[in-house]
Amino acid sequence: MASGLIINDIEMDYFGSGLDFLATSGVNACISLLVITDHSQHSFVEHRSPTRVPSVIDLDTVRAWLQDVAEHVSFALPTSTITRAVPEPTQISTDPVAGMIDLGSSIATGLLAKAKVLKRQQTSFKSFDQKINQNIEPSNDESDDYDDNEGLLFSYGQEGRQAVLASDYSFGQFRYLERLLLVHGRWSYLRISKFLRYFFYKNFAFTLCHFWFGFFSGFSAQTLYDPFFVATYNVFFSSLPVLALGVFDQDVSADHSMSKPPLYTPGQNNEFFNKKIFAESVIHGILTSCIIFFVPYLSVSNSTRPGGMTQADLQSFGFMVATIMVIVVNLENALETWYWTGLYHFVLWGTIVVHFLFHFVLYSTIIYQIFNTNYGYVGVAQAVLSTGNFWFTLFLTCTILLLPVFCREFFRMRFMPTKTDRARLNQKFRTEEKAAFVAHIQQKLRQSKRSIRSGYAFSQQQGWGPLITSGRMQSKSATRNRQQQQPQSQNQNNNLKNRVHPSPNNNVRSDIDKSNKPFNYENDLLYPNQYFLKTEKRI
Amino acid sequence: MSTPAENEADNEHQKSKKPADTAFKQQRLPAWQPIITANTALPVFLAIGLIFIPIGIVLVVTSERVLEFDLDYTDTNCMSLNVSNTTCADVLAQANYTGASCTCQKSFTLDKDFEGDVYFYYGLVNYYQNHRRYVRSRDDNQLLGKKDAVSSDCQPFQKSVNGTDITPCGAIANSKFNDSLVLSMNGNISVPLLRTGIAWSTDKAVKFKNPDNPQNWFATNPRPPNWQQDAWHLDTNLTDDNNGYQNEDFIVWMRTAAMPTFRKLYRKLSLTESTTFQNGLPKGTYVLTITYNYPVTSFSGRKQFIISTTSWMGGKNPFLGWAYITVGIICMITFVVFLVLHKTWKTDDPLAYQMRSMQMNQRTAAGYN
Repeated sequence: MASGLIINDIEMDYFGSGLDFLATSGVNACISLLVITDHSQHSFVEHRSPTRVPSVIDLDTVRAWLQDVAEHVSFALPTSTITRAVPEPTQISTDPVAGMIDLGSSIATGLLAKAKVLKRQQTSFKSFDQKINQNIEPSNDESDDYDDNEGLLFSYGQEGRQAVLASDYSFGQFRYLERLLLVHGRWSYLRISKFLRYFFYKNFAFTLCHFWFGFFSGFSAQTLYDPFFVATYNVFFSSLPVLALGVFDQDVSADHSMSKPPLYTPGQNNEFFNKKIFAESVIHGILTSCIIFFVPYLSVSNSTRPGGMTQADLQSFGFMVATIMVIVVNLENALETWYWTGLYHFVLWGTIVVHFLFHFVLYSTIIYQIFNTNYGYVGVAQAVLSTGNFWFTLFLTCTILLLPVFCREFFRMRFMPTKTDRARLNQKFRTEEKAAFVAHIQQKLRQSKRSIRSGYAFSQQQGWGPLITSGRMQSKSATRNRQQQQPQSQNQNNNLKNRVHPSPNNNVRSDIDKSNKPFNYENDLLYPNQYFLKTEKRI
Repeated sequence: MSTPAENEADNEHQKSKKPADTAFKQQRLPAWQPIITANTALPVFLAIGLIFIPIGIVLVVTSERVLEFDLDYTDTNCMSLNVSNTTCADVLAQANYTGASCTCQKSFTLDKDFEGDVYFYYGLVNYYQNHRRYVRSRDDNQLLGKKDAVSSDCQPFQKSVNGTDITPCGAIANSKFNDSLVLSMNGNISVPLLRTGIAWSTDKAVKFKNPDNPQNWFATNPRPPNWQQDAWHLDTNLTDDNNGYQNEDFIVWMRTAAMPTFRKLYRKLSLTESTTFQNGLPKGTYVLTITYNYPVTSFSGRKQFIISTTSWMGGKNPFLGWAYITVGIICMITFVVFLVLHKTWKTDDPLAYQMRSMQMNQRTAAGYN
């Protein structure tokens, strides 16, 4: 039993004294406590054990939990008390998924942090088993714990700032962790997965055309394309759209990300990039290269131009395949993008335009006449682009390659939407709001079945009486005018479902909606049309 | 340890590192966020199906209208006129491919009038003009008329036995097609053929130029080993702009083909020289007189003589039309399948279900007002 160690309060402490609290960095999950006795002596105790996140967390639970730990702590300490004042109450969420994050902030308050807090989340396939790993690390112990996972560093004080250099991300206040994980971490995972998938796909599509061509060139390693194109494909003609994808893409907005913590689980379950998806992208690249090579081959192999000259010379064929490839690969990127900013439009169409411009200039006859030099591909651009054969082959190849991707996306979105898909649909079409509204109306209708004939007499439940007597039962146009005066605040509350998170503007968490009231449909119950006026989109 | 008051003072001195609340930095840029729903995808399938099938039909009809005739004259169709009972191919083989020549004649019938522009091609099968060493084996600067030393890419056809550069150097030039094919109708009316206008105009204008004083130059410099005459005699009429490096047959040959089976433009029908042929090739019996110089049997190659008309899409090309029709039909089938699935598959369509029931409830709720 504890020999009298009492934890009076949990505090977030601001040190800054520069003392180095030595400890080994824990390899296993542990809670480290800095215990400051009332004689102002500092003792450090590290308690190693996996700490599980309770499903219901509040301040008392944390206190009790730390109390358990303190029992072990107390063995190392003489009898003493820890006394500190709590500067502000800490809010702990009841959402079990998000609880891990808020628990962190409350544990940080318990950590008396001059120390550096390293919070690690392990991605695991199977269980959503949150191991919170909090270490106090000295600045000279670069441990190899940081290999696979990202280290989030809560930097405090001098050593905190030093440890920033060793961490992948660092932040100054614990509440930023939520945004970091749920918004930026999630988006980052999505972007990186898409980027990787696409990169494998486009490079396989590009390179394997040479493999197919080998069958027709005696395996002599003759390149199909212009050497300039080979050098610039990855630099000019397919890099910018995927960069824009990797930088700007989003599935749902930041507010939606924060209000839906379960969207974080695809990242933990490796849903966006795993061996299966990698294999799919490789196979997709192989099939793309097959079609990009063979459809032009079949359409051009013995055909001639209207002027009688053949089209199947090496340079024309290479240019044709190269152009089709650039267009198909970039349009495939467009199909993968979920967030088309203006910059992305510019980059996507710009790449295709640049491809044509670049080749026009490179293959132009004027330049070579001026300089009296020779480049094998002179005149190829106009020779190829002026034939109907090329354009028809281009449209055919694009369709053959892009329609299956389109089909698959549609099939998944309509018949088997994932969590992320549902979130996107919800964001665009507000389906969850509407579903909630439907449910509420159905409930109300069930309740009010008795009042079909008379809407006034209501014996047991609050019915339509207050609504009617409140004077809001007016004509539709009158209510429309009235409602336009108070539009915004209600809608914002609607979207976030009791949970308003601090945007970077707010330093103080005073805007947390602590009430558990359901969405107030009362105002709009009588005027469903007006409700939908604002929010309904035709799909 | 410092008190909280001191730390707040510290924080005020520090510049705030909060990122600006702009749309770009907070990643709120205005964007189009398309989602593929049934209402967008199904019309796309229908539209593609409806567009592609007519295009395919048009292309097929266009291709069917193009008339083409080909004649493989590698061995049995070309019996030597001089040596009895031997194909020209055998004649060349017996002479050990040392530049022997052989003449033969073959008659054939055209069933239909070939109207409009008529083009004559020679086709080669199993001939790898796209082999890497072969493609490299040329010197473009020499072909521009410059008299510098030729590059070593032309090996082994770079220098002749006495050390001077071969003009033109390289394996591509050396292997120039040198059969001559002459057509006559009913045995005596010769078909007027144009030997110019067959090469790319950009090639002839930009890539191939003769050196100064070409006649002398070609006479004094060695020709490629497989050639019977030097470059200045490529055009037997000795017209200046179709000789030397500017000879259009030579230019056509130097534009290497991409596939092992290819055809190259040989001659065009001249529509202005004779009244018999002013509308094209009329149907009838024709005799092709072949001067068989080019040996292909040693590597199982084949040679063909091809007569073809063209359309606005070019020569005969059935693949494209049928491919369009196939893709169009597949799209229509996909459209039908997805439409049926969309209407009948009772999954939780996140969009339709709520909308339908909500519209229903809208009406009922409004009815109680």
